[in-house]
Amino acid sequence: MTCLVNKKILTKGNYAIANAAVIAGCDCYFGYPITPQSEIGEFMSGKMQELNRAYVSAESELAAINMTLGACSTGAKAMTSSSSCAVALMQEALSYAAADELPIVLVSVMRGGPGLGNIYPSQGDYFQSTKGGGNGDYKLIVLAPSTVQECVDLTYKAFYLAHKYKNPTVLLADGLLGQMMEPVEFGAYPYPVVDNSDWALTGAKNRDGRVIRSYAPLADKQCEFLDKLYAKYKNIEDNETEWEEINTDDADIVLISFGSTSRNVKTAMKKLREKGIKAGFFRPITLFPFPSKRLAELSKKVKKFVTVEVNMGQMVNDVKLAVNGACPVELINKGVGAPPSADEIVSRIEVL
Amino acid sequence: MERNFIIAGFGGQGVLLAGEVLANAFMHADKHVTWYPSYGAEMRGGTVNCEIVMSDDEVSEVNKADADFVVALNQASFDKFLPKIKNGGCMIANSTLVKEEKTRSDIKYVFVPITKSADELGNVKMANILALGVLAKTSGLLNLAIIEKALDSVLPSHRKNLLPLNMKALKIGYEYDLFAFNA
Repeated sequence: MTCLVNKKILTKGNYAIANAAVIAGCDCYFGYPITPQSEIGEFMSGKMQELNRAYVSAESELAAINMTLGACSTGAKAMTSSSSCAVALMQEALSYAAADELPIVLVSVMRGGPGLGNIYPSQGDYFQSTKGGGNGDYKLIVLAPSTVQECVDLTYKAFYLAHKYKNPTVLLADGLLGQMMEPVEFGAYPYPVVDNSDWALTGAKNRDGRVIRSYAPLADKQCEFLDKLYAKYKNIEDNETEWEEINTDDADIVLISFGSTSRNVKTAMKKLREKGIKAGFFRPITLFPFPSKRLAELSKKVKKFVTVEVNMGQMVNDVKLAVNGACPVELINKGVGAPPSADEIVSRIEVL
Repeated sequence: MERNFIIAGFGGQGVLLAGEVLANAFMHADKHVTWYPSYGAEMRGGTVNCEIVMSDDEVSEVNKADADFVVALNQASFDKFLPKIKNGGCMIANSTLVKEEKTRSDIKYVFVPITKSADELGNVKMANILALGVLAKTSGLLNLAIIEKALDSVLPSHRKNLLPLNMKALKIGYEYDLFAFNA
């Protein structure tokens, strides 16, 4: 339960995320346990108290996310963490946080679904995080790590982007990343402090009171607000879209995947190259904003995209929208569990 | 070079910890490494396993279909993972609890009375680390000093007093007469 800066250690994805959140300056953690992310709450329960920061073991997921919402309204760096069926319970608060423009950080460690599902790794909550289960027009910033080191780096980034854009931000990991161990280095938090003095509810001493709410009684006011909100999302798309691509220059087939699945996909791409098939690798790191523009560019020169996902085919829809019919988009998938092996991906591509 | 290892046994035999020590040792040796546990509805007395993949480059896959080395601390693990060993790979089995049967001719078998040796050392809980000693020697990939460093990083401060006993167990495993094996 040590918190380490500038030291290489072997640790689980869940501990890496929790440790990174502490280093990022997380002031408050609110959570309710659920496999496969319970280590996050475990770590926070000790560490946050040790550092005199706030840790609350909430009575439910609803309570946890609404506590996070409340803490964020004061300008604090607050986070919660959960998994699939319990993140489902948080959707209302996420919609409110998007409307209230509150910088909630939610760590979502995906497991099998729908319903209670099972506790094995899954990528079945791509829709849940990028399309939202709450009401109205809103977007969450969604970051998808593929290694334990990225769990650290993107946790830092999640706090920064949440506060920079005053927008709820999701770190979308899965049971595989949460439970596996890899060597990681915890660098110092690399982002600047974001000034929140013009909106945070800090007590109205020597200034007028402020109200944070998501209710606009007049229709034209709501239109104005939505335009402003979507201008912000456009700004996020223009400035924060992040992806990794390898061997796409001369590729005939580009394999697209996100999160832990992309590890096997990268190996599959290398194996295809060894067989003389010109394969490329593309990995969205931000799921919103989605790297649609880059995929549209690539669609003009590649012959085919193949998305590989551990769900019944979710991100493939966004790829199709980006490609807009310019070339075929195929899906290789598995419903739940560890990702398909590199050999399996290779043999399935060979028969496509 | 990439090598993958499965360590398996009863819940309570310390296979996850042994795997964690092994993975730490590879990290200290500046290798890329991943550790992935079997997890699910596991319980004391049930079988449990973990997979460690060590590589000079990025680890190619997590949760591989096969293994170079399997350490089986009980019969159920031996039966389950024997078919997963690659051609030319190695099965290290705890002969105290596993029947010495060699049904495959394409792999190497190493039978060591791991539980019995740990018991003779005075603490049967050391079986996992003793097995790690056998694995280190058999694989030729790690020396004792680096595993000692790994043990030191894994043992929490209130358990550091167990380091000397762990080292003893490790040495017994490492120095077990390799020529006793019938390859």
